[in-house]
Amino acid sequence: MAYEQVKVKTPLILRLLPILSIVLFFGTWQMVVEWEIVPSTMMASPIQIFQLFLVKWTEANPDGALLSQHIWTSVQEAFTGYLLALLVGIPLGLAMGWFVVVEGLSRPIFEMIRPIPPVAWIPLVIFWFGIGISGKIFIIWIGGIVPCVINSYEGVRMTNPTLIQMARTYGATDWQIFKQICIPSALPMVFGALQIALACCWTNLVAAELLAADVGLGFLITMGRKLALPDMVLLGMIMLGLTGVVIGVVINYFEKRLLAGIRR
Amino acid sequence: MILRNRWFLYGVSMLAFFLVWDRAAVARVFSSGLPRPYEVVLHLWSMMIDPLAGKSLLGHIWASTQRILIGFTIASLVAVPLGLMMALNRYVNAIVKPLFDLLKPMPPLAWISIAILWFGIGETSKVFIIIIGTFVPCLLDAYNGVRLVEPELYDVIRMLGGKRRHEIIQVCFPAAFPAIFAGLQIALSIAWSCVLAAELVSARSGLGFIIIKGMNLSRPAMIVSGMVVIALVAWGMSQLVSGLERHVCPWKREIEGL
Repeated sequence: MAYEQVKVKTPLILRLLPILSIVLFFGTWQMVVEWEIVPSTMMASPIQIFQLFLVKWTEANPDGALLSQHIWTSVQEAFTGYLLALLVGIPLGLAMGWFVVVEGLSRPIFEMIRPIPPVAWIPLVIFWFGIGISGKIFIIWIGGIVPCVINSYEGVRMTNPTLIQMARTYGATDWQIFKQICIPSALPMVFGALQIALACCWTNLVAAELLAADVGLGFLITMGRKLALPDMVLLGMIMLGLTGVVIGVVINYFEKRLLAGIRR
Repeated sequence: MILRNRWFLYGVSMLAFFLVWDRAAVARVFSSGLPRPYEVVLHLWSMMIDPLAGKSLLGHIWASTQRILIGFTIASLVAVPLGLMMALNRYVNAIVKPLFDLLKPMPPLAWISIAILWFGIGETSKVFIIIIGTFVPCLLDAYNGVRLVEPELYDVIRMLGGKRRHEIIQVCFPAAFPAIFAGLQIALSIAWSCVLAAELVSARSGLGFIIIKGMNLSRPAMIVSGMVVIALVAWGMSQLVSGLERHVCPWKREIEGL
Protein backbone atom coordinates (compact mmCIF):
# COMPACT_ATOMS: atom_id res chain seq x y z
CA MET A 1 0.00 0.00 0.00
CA ALA A 2 1.43 3.35 -0.98
CA TYR A 3 2.21 5.73 1.84
CA GLU A 4 -0.30 8.55 1.75
CA GLN A 5 0.40 11.85 3.34
CA VAL A 6 -2.33 12.54 5.85
CA LYS A 7 -3.50 16.10 5.38
CA VAL A 8 -4.53 17.72 8.63
CA LYS A 9 -7.07 20.42 7.97
CA THR A 10 -6.23 23.55 9.95
CA PRO A 11 -9.23 24.41 12.06
CA LEU A 12 -11.05 27.54 10.93
CA ILE A 13 -10.24 29.44 14.10
CA LEU A 14 -6.51 29.01 13.60
CA ARG A 15 -6.77 30.50 10.16
CA LEU A 16 -8.90 33.41 11.37
CA LEU A 17 -6.81 34.31 14.41
CA PRO A 18 -3.85 35.83 12.51
CA ILE A 19 -6.15 38.08 10.49
CA LEU A 20 -8.11 39.06 13.60
CA SER A 21 -4.90 39.80 15.41
CA ILE A 22 -3.59 42.14 12.73
CA VAL A 23 -6.95 43.89 12.29
CA LEU A 24 -7.19 44.37 16.05
CA PHE A 25 -3.68 45.79 16.15
CA PHE A 26 -4.27 48.38 13.45
CA GLY A 27 -7.73 49.16 14.74
CA THR A 28 -6.48 49.84 18.26
CA TRP A 29 -3.68 51.96 16.86
CA GLN A 30 -6.11 54.06 14.84
CA MET A 31 -8.50 54.45 17.76
CA VAL A 32 -5.74 55.42 20.19
CA VAL A 33 -4.80 58.35 18.00
CA GLU A 34 -8.32 59.39 17.00
CA TRP A 35 -9.62 59.46 20.51
CA GLU A 36 -6.52 61.39 21.64
CA ILE A 37 -5.59 58.84 24.28
CA VAL A 38 -2.06 59.70 23.26
CA PRO A 39 -1.39 63.31 22.24
CA SER A 40 -1.08 63.82 18.51
CA THR A 41 2.40 65.26 18.92
CA MET A 42 3.63 61.83 19.95
CA MET A 43 1.84 59.41 17.71
CA ALA A 44 0.29 59.26 14.26
CA SER A 45 -2.47 56.95 13.09
CA PRO A 46 -2.06 54.52 10.19
CA ILE A 47 -4.33 56.67 8.03
CA GLN A 48 -2.23 59.77 8.67
CA ILE A 49 0.91 57.89 7.78
CA PHE A 50 -0.61 56.64 4.57
CA GLN A 51 -1.68 60.17 3.66
CA LEU A 52 1.83 61.43 4.23
CA PHE A 53 3.12 58.56 2.13
CA LEU A 54 0.99 59.68 -0.79
CA VAL A 55 1.95 63.31 -0.32
CA LYS A 56 5.69 62.68 -0.12
CA TRP A 57 5.88 61.29 -3.64
CA THR A 58 5.43 64.76 -5.04
CA GLU A 59 6.07 67.17 -2.19
CA ALA A 60 9.65 67.97 -1.22
CA ASN A 61 8.83 69.97 1.92
CA PRO A 62 9.42 70.10 4.79
CA ASP A 63 12.54 67.99 4.72
CA GLY A 64 13.91 68.94 1.37
CA ALA A 65 13.52 65.89 -0.83
CA LEU A 66 10.98 63.58 -2.41
CA LEU A 67 10.30 60.15 -0.92
CA SER A 68 11.75 58.50 -4.02
CA GLN A 69 15.01 60.41 -3.55
CA HIS A 70 15.23 59.30 0.06
CA ILE A 71 14.65 55.67 -0.79
CA TRP A 72 17.05 55.76 -3.72
CA THR A 73 19.86 57.33 -1.69
CA SER A 74 19.47 54.85 1.13
CA VAL A 75 19.37 51.87 -1.20
CA GLN A 76 22.33 53.17 -3.17
CA GLU A 77 24.48 53.60 -0.07
CA ALA A 78 23.51 50.26 1.38
CA PHE A 79 24.12 48.39 -1.86
CA THR A 80 27.50 49.97 -2.54
CA GLY A 81 28.74 49.21 0.95
CA TYR A 82 27.26 45.71 0.77
CA LEU A 83 28.84 44.82 -2.58
CA LEU A 84 32.22 46.21 -1.50
CA ALA A 85 32.01 44.19 1.70
CA LEU A 86 31.27 41.04 -0.29
CA LEU A 87 34.07 41.71 -2.78
CA VAL A 88 36.66 42.16 -0.07
CA GLY A 89 35.35 39.96 2.71
CA ILE A 90 34.54 36.72 0.92
CA PRO A 91 37.87 36.21 -0.91
CA LEU A 92 39.72 37.26 2.23
CA GLY A 93 37.79 34.82 4.40
CA LEU A 94 38.20 31.98 1.93
CA ALA A 95 41.94 32.58 1.64
CA MET A 96 42.27 32.88 5.42
CA GLY A 97 40.70 29.47 5.83
CA TRP A 98 43.21 27.70 3.66
CA PHE A 99 46.47 29.60 3.40
CA VAL A 100 48.41 29.91 6.65
CA VAL A 101 50.25 32.98 5.41
CA VAL A 102 47.04 34.88 4.73
CA GLU A 103 45.56 33.89 8.05
CA GLY A 104 48.67 34.77 9.99
CA LEU A 105 48.83 38.21 8.48
CA SER A 106 45.16 39.15 8.58
CA ARG A 107 43.90 37.48 11.72
CA PRO A 108 45.22 39.87 14.41
CA ILE A 109 43.93 42.91 12.53
CA PHE A 110 40.58 41.23 12.01
CA GLU A 111 40.29 40.12 15.63
CA MET A 112 40.97 43.67 16.75
CA ILE A 113 38.35 45.18 14.45
CA ARG A 114 35.75 42.50 15.10
CA PRO A 115 34.52 43.39 18.59
CA ILE A 116 34.03 47.06 17.72
CA PRO A 117 30.38 47.58 16.83
CA PRO A 118 30.19 49.45 13.50
CA VAL A 119 28.14 52.13 15.28
CA ALA A 120 31.25 52.99 17.31
CA TRP A 121 33.05 54.00 14.11
CA ILE A 122 30.56 56.77 13.38
CA PRO A 123 32.22 59.65 15.27
CA LEU A 124 35.62 58.81 13.83
CA VAL A 125 34.20 58.54 10.34
CA ILE A 126 32.34 61.85 10.62
CA PHE A 127 35.61 63.34 11.83
CA TRP A 128 37.48 61.99 8.81
CA PHE A 129 34.97 62.13 5.96
CA GLY A 130 32.41 64.64 7.10
CA ILE A 131 28.72 64.21 6.33
CA GLY A 132 29.14 62.77 2.89
CA ILE A 133 28.27 59.57 1.15
CA SER A 134 31.74 58.03 1.43
CA GLY A 135 31.67 58.04 5.22
CA LYS A 136 28.38 56.16 5.30
CA ILE A 137 29.62 53.63 2.75
CA PHE A 138 32.70 53.06 4.93
CA ILE A 139 30.57 52.28 8.00
CA ILE A 140 28.30 49.96 6.04
CA TRP A 141 31.37 48.28 4.55
CA ILE A 142 32.96 47.69 7.97
CA GLY A 143 29.67 46.33 9.26
CA GLY A 144 29.22 43.94 6.36
CA ILE A 145 32.76 42.67 6.08
CA VAL A 146 32.85 40.92 9.45
CA PRO A 147 30.14 38.29 8.83
CA CYS A 148 31.46 37.71 5.31
CA VAL A 149 34.96 36.90 6.53
CA ILE A 150 33.75 34.77 9.44
CA ASN A 151 31.34 32.71 7.36
CA SER A 152 33.75 32.19 4.45
CA TYR A 153 36.48 31.17 6.91
CA GLU A 154 34.19 28.69 8.64
CA GLY A 155 33.00 27.40 5.29
CA VAL A 156 36.52 26.53 4.21
CA ARG A 157 37.44 25.06 7.61
CA MET A 158 34.43 22.75 7.41
CA THR A 159 35.58 21.15 4.16
CA ASN A 160 35.49 17.39 4.30
CA PRO A 161 39.09 16.29 5.10
CA THR A 162 38.65 13.11 3.08
CA LEU A 163 38.22 15.13 -0.09
CA ILE A 164 41.41 17.04 0.63
CA GLN A 165 43.38 13.89 1.30
CA MET A 166 42.02 12.33 -1.85
CA ALA A 167 43.12 15.35 -3.86
CA ARG A 168 46.58 15.14 -2.31
CA THR A 169 46.98 11.50 -3.28
CA TYR A 170 46.22 12.53 -6.84
CA GLY A 171 49.02 15.08 -6.63
CA ALA A 172 47.04 18.31 -6.57
CA THR A 173 48.85 21.49 -5.55
CA ASP A 174 47.63 23.67 -2.69
CA TRP A 175 46.14 26.18 -5.07
CA GLN A 176 44.28 23.51 -7.03
CA ILE A 177 42.82 22.03 -3.87
CA PHE A 178 41.73 25.49 -2.80
CA LYS A 179 40.11 26.36 -6.07
CA GLN A 180 38.41 23.09 -6.84
CA ILE A 181 37.50 21.65 -3.47
CA CYS A 182 37.52 24.22 -0.70
CA ILE A 183 35.71 27.01 -2.49
CA PRO A 184 32.80 24.94 -3.84
CA SER A 185 32.28 23.21 -0.53
CA ALA A 186 32.30 26.54 1.29
CA LEU A 187 29.59 27.99 -0.96
CA PRO A 188 26.59 27.22 1.33
CA MET A 189 28.21 29.12 4.20
CA VAL A 190 29.12 31.93 1.82
CA PHE A 191 25.50 32.26 0.76
CA GLY A 192 24.49 32.31 4.40
CA ALA A 193 26.92 35.18 4.80
CA LEU A 194 25.16 37.08 2.01
CA GLN A 195 21.95 37.21 4.02
CA ILE A 196 23.56 38.00 7.36
CA ALA A 197 25.75 40.70 5.86
CA LEU A 198 22.72 42.27 4.21
CA ALA A 199 20.90 42.55 7.54
CA CYS A 200 24.03 44.02 9.14
CA CYS A 201 24.49 46.50 6.32
CA TRP A 202 20.90 47.65 6.48
CA THR A 203 21.06 48.20 10.25
CA ASN A 204 24.31 50.12 9.98
CA LEU A 205 22.85 52.21 7.20
CA VAL A 206 20.16 53.36 9.62
CA ALA A 207 22.75 54.18 12.26
CA ALA A 208 24.93 56.12 9.85
CA GLU A 209 22.02 58.07 8.40
CA LEU A 210 20.65 59.01 11.81
CA LEU A 211 23.73 61.05 12.48
CA ALA A 212 25.36 62.12 9.30
CA ALA A 213 23.09 62.74 6.38
CA ASP A 214 20.99 65.26 4.60
CA VAL A 215 18.97 62.85 2.53
CA GLY A 216 17.85 59.28 2.98
CA LEU A 217 15.34 57.33 5.03
CA GLY A 218 17.29 57.65 8.29
CA PHE A 219 17.48 61.39 7.69
CA LEU A 220 13.71 61.43 7.14
CA ILE A 221 13.27 59.88 10.56
CA THR A 222 15.60 62.37 12.25
CA MET A 223 13.94 65.29 10.51
CA GLY A 224 10.56 64.07 11.63
CA ARG A 225 11.80 64.06 15.20
CA LYS A 226 13.34 67.53 14.96
CA LEU A 227 10.17 68.96 13.46
CA ALA A 228 8.01 67.02 15.94
CA LEU A 229 6.10 65.29 13.12
CA PRO A 230 5.44 61.74 14.33
CA ASP A 231 3.85 60.73 11.04
CA MET A 232 7.10 61.48 9.24
CA VAL A 233 9.08 59.45 11.76
CA LEU A 234 6.73 56.49 11.48
CA LEU A 235 6.63 56.74 7.69
CA GLY A 236 10.43 56.60 7.60
CA MET A 237 10.49 53.59 9.91
CA ILE A 238 7.91 51.69 7.90
CA MET A 239 9.64 52.47 4.61
CA LEU A 240 12.90 51.22 6.10
CA GLY A 241 11.31 47.96 7.08
CA LEU A 242 9.55 47.53 3.73
CA THR A 243 12.62 48.37 1.66
CA GLY A 244 14.68 45.94 3.71
CA VAL A 245 12.14 43.21 3.04
CA VAL A 246 12.07 43.94 -0.69
CA ILE A 247 15.87 43.85 -0.95
CA GLY A 248 15.91 40.58 0.98
CA VAL A 249 13.40 39.07 -1.42
CA VAL A 250 15.44 40.20 -4.43
CA ILE A 251 18.64 38.71 -3.01
CA ASN A 252 16.81 35.49 -2.19
CA TYR A 253 15.62 35.24 -5.78
CA PHE A 254 19.13 35.64 -7.17
CA GLU A 255 20.49 33.17 -4.67
CA LYS A 256 17.95 30.52 -5.68
CA ARG A 257 18.79 30.95 -9.35
CA LEU A 258 22.52 30.75 -8.72
CA LEU A 259 22.21 27.70 -6.52
CA ALA A 260 19.85 25.94 -8.94
CA GLY A 261 22.34 23.23 -9.74
CA ILE A 262 24.39 23.02 -6.57
CA ARG A 263 23.14 20.83 -3.79
CA ARG A 264 22.70 22.72 -0.52
CA MET B 1 59.97 27.49 7.81
CA ILE B 2 59.57 30.30 10.31
CA LEU B 3 57.85 32.25 7.58
CA ARG B 4 54.97 29.79 7.76
CA ASN B 5 54.70 29.69 11.51
CA ARG B 6 51.33 31.07 12.52
CA TRP B 7 52.47 32.94 15.62
CA PHE B 8 55.38 34.55 13.84
CA LEU B 9 53.01 35.84 11.21
CA TYR B 10 50.63 37.15 13.88
CA GLY B 11 53.50 39.05 15.43
CA VAL B 12 54.64 40.48 12.10
CA SER B 13 51.09 41.51 11.29
CA MET B 14 50.53 43.32 14.57
CA LEU B 15 53.89 45.06 14.34
CA ALA B 16 53.19 46.17 10.77
CA PHE B 17 49.72 47.37 11.77
CA PHE B 18 51.02 49.63 14.52
CA LEU B 19 53.92 50.87 12.39
CA VAL B 20 51.64 51.78 9.49
CA TRP B 21 49.23 53.44 11.93
CA ASP B 22 52.01 55.50 13.46
CA ARG B 23 53.45 56.55 10.10
CA ALA B 24 49.99 57.41 8.74
CA ALA B 25 49.24 59.52 11.81
CA VAL B 26 52.52 61.40 11.58
CA ALA B 27 52.18 61.91 7.83
CA ARG B 28 48.71 63.32 8.43
CA VAL B 29 47.04 61.01 5.94
CA PHE B 30 43.69 61.93 7.44
CA SER B 31 44.77 65.53 8.05
CA SER B 32 45.42 65.20 11.79
CA GLY B 33 42.29 63.13 12.26
CA LEU B 34 44.30 60.05 13.18
CA PRO B 35 45.99 59.97 16.58
CA ARG B 36 49.28 58.17 17.12
CA PRO B 37 49.06 54.87 19.07
CA TYR B 38 51.18 56.43 21.80
CA GLU B 39 48.71 59.29 22.18
CA VAL B 40 45.86 56.81 22.45
CA VAL B 41 47.59 54.93 25.25
CA LEU B 42 48.32 58.18 27.09
CA HIS B 43 44.71 59.22 26.74
CA LEU B 44 43.47 55.87 27.99
CA TRP B 45 45.60 56.29 31.05
CA SER B 46 44.42 59.84 31.70
CA MET B 47 40.79 58.77 31.27
CA MET B 48 41.23 56.27 34.03
CA ILE B 49 42.38 58.90 36.48
CA ASP B 50 40.60 62.12 35.47
CA PRO B 51 36.83 62.20 35.47
CA LEU B 52 35.05 63.17 32.27
CA ALA B 53 31.79 65.09 32.60
CA GLY B 54 31.52 64.06 36.21
CA LYS B 55 32.27 60.37 35.91
CA SER B 56 35.42 58.31 35.80
CA LEU B 57 35.98 55.84 32.99
CA LEU B 58 34.57 53.04 35.10
CA GLY B 59 31.55 55.20 35.79
CA HIS B 60 30.90 55.58 32.06
CA ILE B 61 31.43 51.87 31.45
CA TRP B 62 28.97 51.11 34.21
CA ALA B 63 26.45 53.60 32.82
CA SER B 64 26.42 51.87 29.44
CA THR B 65 26.49 48.38 30.95
CA GLN B 66 23.66 49.24 33.32
CA ARG B 67 21.41 50.29 30.45
CA ILE B 68 22.21 47.10 28.58
CA LEU B 69 21.57 44.92 31.64
CA ILE B 70 18.22 46.50 32.44
CA GLY B 71 16.95 46.45 28.86
CA PHE B 72 18.32 43.01 28.16
CA THR B 73 16.80 41.49 31.30
CA ILE B 74 13.36 42.96 30.69
CA ALA B 75 13.36 41.95 27.04
CA SER B 76 14.56 38.40 27.61
CA LEU B 77 12.16 37.84 30.53
CA VAL B 78 9.30 38.67 28.19
CA ALA B 79 10.62 37.35 24.87
CA VAL B 80 11.94 33.93 25.88
CA PRO B 81 8.78 32.67 27.61
CA LEU B 82 6.68 34.16 24.81
CA GLY B 83 8.79 32.39 22.19
CA LEU B 84 8.53 29.11 24.09
CA MET B 85 4.76 29.47 24.39
CA MET B 86 4.46 30.33 20.71
CA ALA B 87 6.24 27.16 19.75
CA LEU B 88 4.28 24.97 22.14
CA ASN B 89 0.77 26.31 21.66
CA ARG B 90 -0.81 26.77 18.26
CA TYR B 91 -3.27 29.44 19.36
CA VAL B 92 -0.64 31.70 20.87
CA ASN B 93 1.34 31.19 17.69
CA ALA B 94 -1.58 32.23 15.49
CA ILE B 95 -2.12 35.42 17.47
CA VAL B 96 1.45 36.58 17.99
CA LYS B 97 3.30 35.43 14.89
CA PRO B 98 1.70 37.78 12.32
CA LEU B 99 2.38 40.80 14.51
CA PHE B 100 5.93 39.64 15.05
CA ASP B 101 6.50 39.15 11.32
CA LEU B 102 5.27 42.70 10.74
CA LEU B 103 7.68 44.20 13.26
CA LYS B 104 10.65 41.94 12.57
CA PRO B 105 12.17 43.57 9.48
CA MET B 106 12.48 47.00 11.08
CA PRO B 107 16.02 47.67 12.29
CA PRO B 108 15.93 48.48 16.04
CA LEU B 109 17.98 51.65 15.49
CA ALA B 110 15.09 53.08 13.49
CA TRP B 111 13.17 53.29 16.75
CA ILE B 112 15.61 55.79 18.27
CA SER B 113 13.87 58.89 16.98
CA ILE B 114 10.41 57.82 18.01
CA ALA B 115 11.70 56.73 21.41
CA ILE B 116 13.16 60.18 21.97
CA LEU B 117 9.88 61.73 20.80
CA TRP B 118 7.98 59.66 23.35
CA PHE B 119 10.32 59.48 26.32
CA GLY B 120 12.66 62.42 25.98
CA ILE B 121 16.42 62.12 26.20
CA GLY B 122 16.64 60.36 29.54
CA GLU B 123 17.41 56.81 30.49
CA THR B 124 13.97 55.50 29.54
CA SER B 125 14.38 56.06 25.81
CA LYS B 126 17.72 54.24 25.77
CA VAL B 127 16.44 51.28 27.75
CA PHE B 128 13.39 51.20 25.48
CA ILE B 129 15.53 50.90 22.36
CA ILE B 130 17.59 48.12 23.93
CA ILE B 131 14.39 46.28 24.79
CA ILE B 132 13.13 46.59 21.21
CA GLY B 133 16.47 45.54 19.80
CA THR B 134 16.97 42.49 21.99
CA PHE B 135 13.35 41.36 21.90
CA VAL B 136 13.45 40.07 18.33
CA PRO B 137 16.47 37.71 18.49
CA CYS B 138 15.47 36.34 21.90
CA LEU B 139 11.96 35.54 20.72
CA LEU B 140 13.10 34.15 17.39
CA ASP B 141 15.73 31.86 18.85
CA ALA B 142 13.49 30.64 21.67
CA TYR B 143 10.82 29.82 19.08
CA ASN B 144 13.26 28.06 16.75
CA GLY B 145 15.00 26.35 19.63
CA VAL B 146 11.83 24.60 20.63
CA ARG B 147 10.77 23.84 17.06
CA LEU B 148 14.08 22.21 16.21
CA VAL B 149 14.25 19.81 19.15
CA GLU B 150 14.73 16.32 17.74
CA PRO B 151 11.47 14.39 17.69
CA GLU B 152 13.23 11.25 18.90
CA LEU B 153 13.72 12.85 22.30
CA TYR B 154 9.97 13.27 22.67
CA ASP B 155 9.49 9.63 21.71
CA VAL B 156 11.97 8.58 24.39
CA ILE B 157 10.19 10.36 27.18
CA ARG B 158 6.78 9.18 26.07
CA MET B 159 8.10 5.66 26.04
CA LEU B 160 9.32 6.10 29.58
CA GLY B 161 5.80 7.08 30.62
CA GLY B 162 6.03 10.84 30.67
CA LYS B 163 3.03 13.10 30.22
CA ARG B 164 2.88 16.38 28.31
CA ARG B 165 4.27 18.42 31.18
CA HIS B 166 7.18 16.02 31.55
CA GLU B 167 7.79 16.39 27.84
CA ILE B 168 7.97 20.12 28.14
CA ILE B 169 9.96 20.49 31.34
CA GLN B 170 12.43 17.67 30.91
CA VAL B 171 12.98 17.53 27.20
CA CYS B 172 11.84 20.71 25.53
CA PHE B 173 13.47 23.31 27.77
CA PRO B 174 16.88 21.69 28.23
CA ALA B 175 17.15 20.84 24.53
CA ALA B 176 16.23 24.41 23.61
CA PHE B 177 18.80 25.98 25.97
CA PRO B 178 21.72 26.06 23.49
CA ALA B 179 19.56 27.81 20.91
CA ILE B 180 18.27 30.27 23.51
CA PHE B 181 21.85 31.03 24.52
CA ALA B 182 22.82 31.60 20.91
CA GLY B 183 19.93 34.05 20.70
CA LEU B 184 21.15 35.75 23.88
CA GLN B 185 24.61 36.22 22.41
CA ILE B 186 23.26 37.76 19.22
CA ALA B 187 20.93 39.89 21.33
CA LEU B 188 23.92 41.06 23.39
CA SER B 189 25.84 42.35 20.38
CA ILE B 190 22.68 44.01 19.07
CA ALA B 191 22.18 45.56 22.50
CA TRP B 192 25.68 47.02 22.30
CA SER B 193 24.92 48.60 18.93
CA CYS B 194 21.65 49.98 20.26
CA VAL B 195 23.07 51.50 23.41
CA LEU B 196 25.98 53.05 21.54
CA ALA B 197 23.73 54.51 18.87
CA ALA B 198 21.30 55.85 21.46
CA GLU B 199 24.20 57.42 23.38
CA LEU B 200 25.58 58.94 20.19
CA VAL B 201 22.31 60.74 19.56
CA SER B 202 21.66 62.05 23.06
CA ALA B 203 23.45 61.21 26.28
CA ARG B 204 25.36 62.65 29.18
CA SER B 205 27.19 59.52 30.25
CA GLY B 206 28.31 56.24 28.84
CA LEU B 207 30.83 54.99 26.31
CA GLY B 208 28.96 56.38 23.31
CA PHE B 209 29.02 59.73 25.06
CA ILE B 210 32.82 59.55 25.28
CA ILE B 211 33.28 59.05 21.56
CA ILE B 212 30.76 61.67 20.49
CA LYS B 213 32.35 64.13 22.94
CA GLY B 214 35.68 63.38 21.34
CA MET B 215 34.19 64.19 17.97
CA ASN B 216 32.63 67.43 19.20
CA LEU B 217 35.86 68.54 20.87
CA SER B 218 37.92 67.52 17.82
CA ARG B 219 40.07 65.22 19.91
CA PRO B 220 40.69 62.07 17.86
CA ALA B 221 42.69 60.52 20.69
CA MET B 222 39.54 60.54 22.79
CA ILE B 223 37.54 58.95 19.98
CA VAL B 224 39.99 56.14 19.37
CA SER B 225 40.60 55.41 23.03
CA GLY B 226 36.83 55.30 23.52
CA MET B 227 36.61 52.80 20.68
CA VAL B 228 39.32 50.67 22.26
CA VAL B 229 37.45 50.61 25.57
CA ILE B 230 34.22 49.72 23.78
CA ALA B 231 35.93 46.84 21.98
CA LEU B 232 37.43 45.50 25.19
CA VAL B 233 34.20 45.72 27.19
CA ALA B 234 32.10 44.17 24.43
CA TRP B 235 34.61 41.34 24.06
CA GLY B 236 34.65 40.79 27.82
CA MET B 237 30.88 40.57 28.05
CA SER B 238 30.60 38.07 25.22
CA GLN B 239 33.29 35.92 26.86
CA LEU B 240 31.23 36.02 30.06
CA VAL B 241 28.10 34.85 28.25
CA SER B 242 30.07 32.05 26.54
CA GLY B 243 31.43 30.94 29.88
CA LEU B 244 27.96 31.01 31.38
CA GLU B 245 26.69 28.90 28.50
CA ARG B 246 29.40 26.29 29.01
CA HIS B 247 28.43 26.15 32.65
CA VAL B 248 24.67 25.97 32.20
CA CYS B 249 24.34 23.63 29.26
CA PRO B 250 27.38 21.41 28.91
CA TRP B 251 25.38 19.15 26.62
CA LYS B 252 25.66 21.50 23.68
CA ARG B 253 27.08 19.70 20.70
CA GLU B 254 29.99 21.40 18.97
CA ILE B 255 30.66 21.06 15.26
CA GLU B 256 33.71 18.86 14.88
CA GLY B 257 36.60 20.94 13.58
CA LEU B 258 39.16 19.88 11.00
